[in-house]
Amino acid sequence: MSADTSMATPRRIRRFSTYRIVEHLLLILLFATLALTGLPQKFHQVGICQSLILLIGGIDMARIIHHWAGVLFLLLAVEHIAVNFIGIVFRQWDPSLLITLKDVKDAIHNGRYYLGLLPNPALCGRFSYKEKCVYWLVLIGGIQMIVTGFMLWFPVLVTRYLPGQFIPAAKIVHSSEAMITFLLVVTWHLYEVILSPDVFPVNKGIFTGYMEEQQAARLHPLEGTERREIDADDLSEMSPEHRP
Amino acid sequence: MRSLRLALLQLVALCLLLTGASTDAADESAAASERKHCLSCHAIRGSVKKFSDGDQVSTYVDPKAFDRSIHRTLPCSACHEEFSSKHHPDRVFRTKQQYQVRESRRCLTCHPDEKINERPIHQSLLKKELAGQPRICTTCHSAHSAQRVRKGNVTTSEEQFCLRCHRYAGTMHFASGASVSTQVDTAEIANSAHRNLACSDCHFSFSPSEHPRRQFRSIREYRLSASELCRRCHFDKQTKMAESIHYSLVSTGRLDAPTCVDCHGGHAIRSMETDRLAIVKKCASCHRQVYAEYAQSVHGRALSDTNNADVPTCIDCHSSHSIRAARSASFHDAIPDTCGGCHGKKEVMAKYGLSTAVVKTYLSDFHGMTLQLHRKEIRNRQRPAAPLAVCSDCHGVHTIGRATGENAAVIKSNLLKRCQSCHPNASENFPDIWLSHYEPSLAAMPLIFILQWFYRVMLFVMVVGLVFQILLDIRRRLEK
Repeated sequence: MSADTSMATPRRIRRFSTYRIVEHLLLILLFATLALTGLPQKFHQVGICQSLILLIGGIDMARIIHHWAGVLFLLLAVEHIAVNFIGIVFRQWDPSLLITLKDVKDAIHNGRYYLGLLPNPALCGRFSYKEKCVYWLVLIGGIQMIVTGFMLWFPVLVTRYLPGQFIPAAKIVHSSEAMITFLLVVTWHLYEVILSPDVFPVNKGIFTGYMEEQQAARLHPLEGTERREIDADDLSEMSPEHRP
Repeated sequence: MRSLRLALLQLVALCLLLTGASTDAADESAAASERKHCLSCHAIRGSVKKFSDGDQVSTYVDPKAFDRSIHRTLPCSACHEEFSSKHHPDRVFRTKQQYQVRESRRCLTCHPDEKINERPIHQSLLKKELAGQPRICTTCHSAHSAQRVRKGNVTTSEEQFCLRCHRYAGTMHFASGASVSTQVDTAEIANSAHRNLACSDCHFSFSPSEHPRRQFRSIREYRLSASELCRRCHFDKQTKMAESIHYSLVSTGRLDAPTCVDCHGGHAIRSMETDRLAIVKKCASCHRQVYAEYAQSVHGRALSDTNNADVPTCIDCHSSHSIRAARSASFHDAIPDTCGGCHGKKEVMAKYGLSTAVVKTYLSDFHGMTLQLHRKEIRNRQRPAAPLAVCSDCHGVHTIGRATGENAAVIKSNLLKRCQSCHPNASENFPDIWLSHYEPSLAAMPLIFILQWFYRVMLFVMVVGLVFQILLDIRRRLEK
């Protein structure tokens, strides 16, 4: 392959299966819905939040949408955990998002790099420690918000078994976790996939499923040495050299 | 003989009235000489006529006043028929009234009933006479200084003119058979806010030259019509009043609902702002049960015991003119504003050691927040929102007491029932969801306090850390 053709049609590698693409799209949709209907409730004293609530159709409508988006979010979380549990335990999927000792080392490495003590950042595999961090914070935060969300939705039922103070406590956990997740996503995640000089203007991998080989080599240099997550439907699309 | 003399006198009087100064000189000189004769004694002060009951009346006649009177051209004997230059009978009367009644009959000679009946004031007097209360003309018109009544030339002001009759006990009769006194207490007028107004400013269409006859079915209808006149000056209040529950009751036929004069009074009207207890008493005259409750409340006792200027009276919560139905949803939903108007003011609450956090904590909690948003969307609403708990739902309305000490336990024990009225399956733990206006502290709500601070610190550290990391990342990458 000539240099010209590689410039025109760069070689791409399959990074995410259709299943992951759909899952992420659903997550974006539900995250946006929950944030748009939830955060204005937290900051209800602010004028623009009140306007937003009125635009949605009032606080009652905002709550209904928030509740049912929450139910769908619960289903998505259950599906995600179940599929990955089955995949990793029974289908030999690579648990590529598990936090390992290398991630701790990478984090320390990058800390020194940022302070100018080391010349280069840590090299990562399929997922960097930052990506893993976002993933686990969103997953754990999501579970917390599901639990506390249902507590807030059904306070009468909850207080039949738990002290009353658990409800205001749940409210603090729910809204604080929401803020943590929201800020994590809009600062770190959106920086890493959009604004970071590495990927600017945008890393489209999660929407197309593909990543240019050069970029993949730069962002995930160690991935070739690791096992990749391969779902059944991906095998046909993958170039032979990238098959495990 | 006597009737002949009477007829002669009438003729003389009539002639004198009709022809005035150009009357027969002989008659005039006769009248003048008689007058001179009488006044030789009666123009001297100090002599009295005594009655059998010990009462007495001065026999003094002020010649100057008489010269100004309408009867100045009449000889004394025209009215004092039994007297002349030659006769001065010694008459005996039991009482002064008996004397006055008798003398008043003399007026009829020239002023017959048919004539004087044209005036409404006389009608009511004649009705009284039929009921056994005799008329005494001189009470209003006085004796020797009687003035021409028409054209208002007798008094210096309209008020004085009206008071010539209305200072005395008259009666206004209604079709229902009821009646009301037309007497005006001059002291009331002098102290009223309207003391500088003329009578006809309120009693529209009445004047020294006009006294229309009006018919009302009842006192109530008269009062309602009187209230209509207030708007000529107090249009803003009338407009507010038109939105009120009282006005809508009147317009649906409940005529006993109050209008302007029922609260403000008529001639005694004055600013009610200064006497807050009087406001409460006014409302209490109809709303007795509510007043009984209010009087026992922390607000009511402070008002009656110490005339406290900070506690609310009826109108501070219900407003004065635009009083809305207190059971309406809009009134209920505005209660946090109503209470917050005072309980949110630091400078007021500090006097009583009360916290202003009560408003903030309510508004930031579920009910307060939802209520605020419901009120904002009220215009777009198809159907009313479900009622949300407001201050009065837990603390009571007119019975409101302190929320500390014994009362705290009472409020607490009633709370579950209150909750259950909207959340029927609520259990004993349920009311504890509400933190009772406490701002979480380590002592009061450790779980919530710790969680709050844990997340505050964590959020701060996370955001600062992330931003710092991103900035370092950008710097390092641009260095390359």
